[in-house]
Amino acid sequence: MGYKIVDVELSSPLAPIELGPQQDGVGLIARWQNRLVGFEMITLPTTGVLSAERLRSIADQRFAPRILVAKMEEELRRRRPVAEPALPSLSIAICTKDRAERLSRLLASLDDIRRKSAFPFVEILVVDNASADSATREAVQRFKDIRYVLEPRAGLDFARNAAVRSATGSMIAYLDDDVVVDRNWLEGLAKVCRDHPGAGGFTGLVLPLRLDTEAQIFFEQRGGFGRGFNRNEFHNARFDNPLHPVGSGILGAGCNMAFDRTLLLSLGGFDEALDTGAPLPGGGDLDIFYRVLRSGRSMVYEPEYAVYHEHRETIDQLRRQYWTWGLGMMAFLVKSRRTDAALRARHRAMVRWWFFDRLKALARAVRKLQGRDFGFAIAELWGGIHGLAGEYDRSRVRVQAIRELNQ
Amino acid sequence: MSGGAFRIRQIDLGSPDADVDAGDTPSLSIFWWKDLPLGMRASLPDELPYTEARLRQLAAEFSAAQLAARSIRLGAPLRATYEGCPKSVLSLTAALDAKDLVGCLDELATASSAPAQHVSVVICTRDRGPALAQCLQSIARQRSAPGEVIVVDNSRDANAWPVCIHFPDIRYVHEPRPGLSAARSAGIRASRRDIIAFTDDDVEVHPGWTAEIARAFAEWDVEALTGLVLPARLDTIAQRRFQFDMGGFGATFVPLIFDQRFFEETRPSGAHVWKIGAGANMAFRRSAFDRVGSFDERLGAGAAGCSEDSELWYRLLATGGACLYEPRAVVFHHHRRDWPGFRRQMKAYMKGHVAALVAQYDNFGDRGNIDRIWKQLPAYFVRTFVKTLFEGPPGRIGILAAEVQGWLAGLQFLLRFGWRKRRTSNWLRKTR
Repeated sequence: MGYKIVDVELSSPLAPIELGPQQDGVGLIARWQNRLVGFEMITLPTTGVLSAERLRSIADQRFAPRILVAKMEEELRRRRPVAEPALPSLSIAICTKDRAERLSRLLASLDDIRRKSAFPFVEILVVDNASADSATREAVQRFKDIRYVLEPRAGLDFARNAAVRSATGSMIAYLDDDVVVDRNWLEGLAKVCRDHPGAGGFTGLVLPLRLDTEAQIFFEQRGGFGRGFNRNEFHNARFDNPLHPVGSGILGAGCNMAFDRTLLLSLGGFDEALDTGAPLPGGGDLDIFYRVLRSGRSMVYEPEYAVYHEHRETIDQLRRQYWTWGLGMMAFLVKSRRTDAALRARHRAMVRWWFFDRLKALARAVRKLQGRDFGFAIAELWGGIHGLAGEYDRSRVRVQAIRELNQ
Repeated sequence: MSGGAFRIRQIDLGSPDADVDAGDTPSLSIFWWKDLPLGMRASLPDELPYTEARLRQLAAEFSAAQLAARSIRLGAPLRATYEGCPKSVLSLTAALDAKDLVGCLDELATASSAPAQHVSVVICTRDRGPALAQCLQSIARQRSAPGEVIVVDNSRDANAWPVCIHFPDIRYVHEPRPGLSAARSAGIRASRRDIIAFTDDDVEVHPGWTAEIARAFAEWDVEALTGLVLPARLDTIAQRRFQFDMGGFGATFVPLIFDQRFFEETRPSGAHVWKIGAGANMAFRRSAFDRVGSFDERLGAGAAGCSEDSELWYRLLATGGACLYEPRAVVFHHHRRDWPGFRRQMKAYMKGHVAALVAQYDNFGDRGNIDRIWKQLPAYFVRTFVKTLFEGPPGRIGILAAEVQGWLAGLQFLLRFGWRKRRTSNWLRKTR
């Protein structure tokens, strides 16, 4: 089992796609004139080949409307040229721990595009977050012009804050070490920066890097990290969602995000008690999105600012990920409820909504007799209960201990 | 949802500086491309003003949908399918080949200048003098003057007469028999033109309304037409609840053809004819009434409730006809301002809906109508109740209670055999 990931340029003639052995589907990444317009997973259990006709009919249904939107947008842009503000200087921060191989893969993908970028200044920082050996440092040394920063205190948000402090760009883009950037990643970021000069931050599309294992396919089929192919703007309040911005997960994911660095500094950076490795590995991205929106600045989701994420390989790892989602979400809500009294009613409503929603997922899994779904739903619920039951406070105590240890 | 009144803003995306007057109040923005309505979006002050990039993106998304629905080259027209969702037939080749989209959109957005001499406008009114005056003023401002305007006064004491005398060229008909259907039938009898357009006394019509109706009937071989109903004001909570929580008059901005396919696809659950449009903005060829009869006088405001309009569309579709939804024909509806009035309206809607389902079942014997009464509506009540408990807006439970009351009140029509024996019109007895 496994899906072959194929990048298809729709403006050139379509050719059939042949699957390799042990592949029974295609993860189709569609572009129009190099611009990402869609992603579809297509199962082909018996044939082993995606014919050009089938490809065309999928393109008719799924991608043609997006092409029309993209064309229209470009025409409007041409007809009404606006003064384009200068791009800020950019720091790209990669926080990593003991994953030298994946880090090299990411740095290689960045190397290809940094030279062609429109940004006046681009620096790349690798924050080595208390790696056990020197492999990370050695991996960085194999590439040119990359700054290496050591953060001895273990915890993703310690590393992210170290990056904010040592970066020099006026904008800082974060990447996780388990992603690879799309070839238009910097262009996408440049475009959204020019269009939204006042925004406090940006999030981007996350597509799957591989769909080789059951867990990876399953995760992507349930929506993955993708937030679709429409640009979206987020503010402190939203008419169509009375819980916003408490449900800040809709903005995107922490593996591909960028912020105005001055804003991050003025907000006090990331909350180090969230995203602290093993006991509470999550919620840091939700928290920072939320605080940026609460500060009154907007955030923009841009599909052309895309990365490919290597999803969890095994079902056990995936179950654990769902558990951490529940945990991180509730820890974030507990924290926000405590620090942001003005929105308490929304935090409460969000907890209610979240449990209602997860229980619905559980009921669905029971009805369809899907044991695995059931397991994931239980894991997420259990993580949520754990998160409500004081995990944030325990994490703060731990973080304090880590700080003292390293002083 | 914010407590403050919503401002309604008309934004022309086709002109530069579209959103200079952003304001800092919650707004419902209605987007146009010249005279073509493109879409609408409600926003809180935090989301405003729309940035240049945001407006460009909205324009691109809205207008791509318009092009796919209207441009023959891109596969239009769209036919309504189950749930009223249009299914695009746009192809990759067409999308790749499409050129000069803005020019194409400009062409589609050209306002109609079709003469409306063959259109009779019928306005039924009851005890709403000031509103009627506003409505008649908007009719007087039409770009293409209609052939005649008929006001049917459904009040007992003919109180619309003093309003009508201020408007020359209006034909006044007094129909004291209560019920909107009776009034509309009186309007049809009094009218003399080939196309009969209906609107209500709580509506203001767009200056291009009659011209767009004339154009649509000239271009399409359909017997009936409905148009876009936009809110005129969103000042009170009741008005906003109706617009936002209850979906208003469920306005999509792309044209749709409701034909046999839609009818057959939705028939098992009672043919979703209420999605075709609203009685506040509809028009028919005179021949349609000759073929399937007039409005059922047992239904409609003043009788069983509403749904006399959708019951007529049901008869049209069930006998092979088609109805066009053309959002270029725009009216602005004044929703009920006060909460009790709004609840009464929701109750009447549900009651009329159930009565219409019974009438449709009696006329054509489609079991789906009864299934809708017994299965789908109760399921909708339960679903809405559970959803509201967890995430619903306050006040939704009150509306739901009114709907359940309306449903209970509607059930009596299933048991009243005298009511059911009367059937819809002479036409049905003739054809059976």
